[in-house]
Amino acid sequence: MAESALELDHVSAFVADTVHVDDLSLTVQQGEIVALVGSNASGKGLALKLCAGLETPAAGEVRLLGVDLAEGSDEEILRLRQRVGVVFDKPALVSNMSAFNNVALPLRYHTALAEGEIQDRVMARLSEYGVEALGDRFPAELTIGDARLVALARARVMDAEILFIDELLLGLDADDLVRIRGLIEGFRREARLTVVATINAPTGLFGLMDRLVLLRDGRLVAACPPAEVSRVDDPMVRDFFWNN
Amino acid sequence: MIAWTGRKTVEGVAYAADVLYLSYLAFKELLSPARRGRGEASRVITRQILFTGVDALPIVGAIALILGLIIIIQAGTTLPQIGAGALLAQIVVLTVVRELGPLITAFIVVWRSGTAMCTELGNMRVGQEIAALEAMGINLIRFLVMPRLFGAIVAMICLTVYFDLVAILGGFLVAKVTLTIPITVYLTEIEQSLSIADVLITILKGGLFGTTIAVICCHHGLSVVGATTEVPQQTTRAMLNTVTVCLLLDIIVTVGFYI
Repeated sequence: MAESALELDHVSAFVADTVHVDDLSLTVQQGEIVALVGSNASGKGLALKLCAGLETPAAGEVRLLGVDLAEGSDEEILRLRQRVGVVFDKPALVSNMSAFNNVALPLRYHTALAEGEIQDRVMARLSEYGVEALGDRFPAELTIGDARLVALARARVMDAEILFIDELLLGLDADDLVRIRGLIEGFRREARLTVVATINAPTGLFGLMDRLVLLRDGRLVAACPPAEVSRVDDPMVRDFFWNN
Repeated sequence: MIAWTGRKTVEGVAYAADVLYLSYLAFKELLSPARRGRGEASRVITRQILFTGVDALPIVGAIALILGLIIIIQAGTTLPQIGAGALLAQIVVLTVVRELGPLITAFIVVWRSGTAMCTELGNMRVGQEIAALEAMGINLIRFLVMPRLFGAIVAMICLTVYFDLVAILGGFLVAKVTLTIPITVYLTEIEQSLSIADVLITILKGGLFGTTIAVICCHHGLSVVGATTEVPQQTTRAMLNTVTVCLLLDIIVTVGFYI
């Protein structure tokens, strides 16, 4: 049995006194590719931030790569951050840095690697995501799709063990979707990287996921392999999958 | 009325505590021996000094020249009429070096760089850039606040000294057209009127104002929660509060050293 990469134990969280994630329990194994699925305002974005340790739960526990996020020391959390990659719904690239320098930032900040080594690693990641020709461009000069691919390269440049992607489909055109499909297939073959992504619309990419975690109003409706979704007896699931 | 006064007092104390705590964290980071991220922070410091200091030289020089010209023409034409022509240099030192040099330089830096710091950090918050930095384990104080603090202090001290020099020398050279005082006499009088304490206090004020500008503007920029409309609101508050605190500090230093 693979070791779990992420555990949420009865986690609840509020935004402006309103419950947005309610009593959510979830375990994600190492190497698993999981999609948090739900319509807008289903709480999946907040759930992802709770999983990544970017929000503090009002109740419950989150363990990420074996570290209890509420109990971990500053040094433990800092080390953990280098093992975790996060891609936000907005690309969130530092606007006064080129794409290359954005991807190089975690390496320059956290490591003492020589500039030549950093250049090799950054170019390898940019090539992996098909944006190596955009290294000199600033974020404002990139399309949303390209900027998100650069953000993906940045999230993985430290060889993250777990990758969180908010709104996987946002800003991607047909070509980008083909690239993302190829990347997810690559992650599956690699079987080392754990991926948790949020998706707010039905997509052919569901077939590549190990599990779909279905959320409604911040509550877990079901967590099952894509092939078993049709057996879930829930009006939201029927509307989401079969009426779209 | 009492409730309003109480609420405003509590808010003011909380605001001062937040700003002082941010200053403490930034200075602690500045003096910390930790190596992680120092290279990136140095790049930000260099950019900050270039933008706040070097790029501001023309506008600071122009305003210093105009101000020096006005003071020297007014003092140089009025003082002889009351038999106090010998006090010209002393008036220049009193007004420019002790007070107006640091204060007007601070106002220019607030208007030019303080607004830029606040809007940049506010927009970074809105664009989730700050959340992304936190997610990458990048210390916001080390990467964002400390370099701006150090850059603003260095730039403010250099610009204040530059302002004083341009106002004293440049103003006199331009005013020479209408005045009859030889430059050697003027410079000798300036030298006699200017004490080491005056120079040290002008540098002290430059450093204090640089700290105030950087910390208050960074505090307001980082206080943006998520809406773009908050950015101009926070920038306006930052400007008003920075100018107010600079004036208060100026009074404190002046009272402390000259009375």
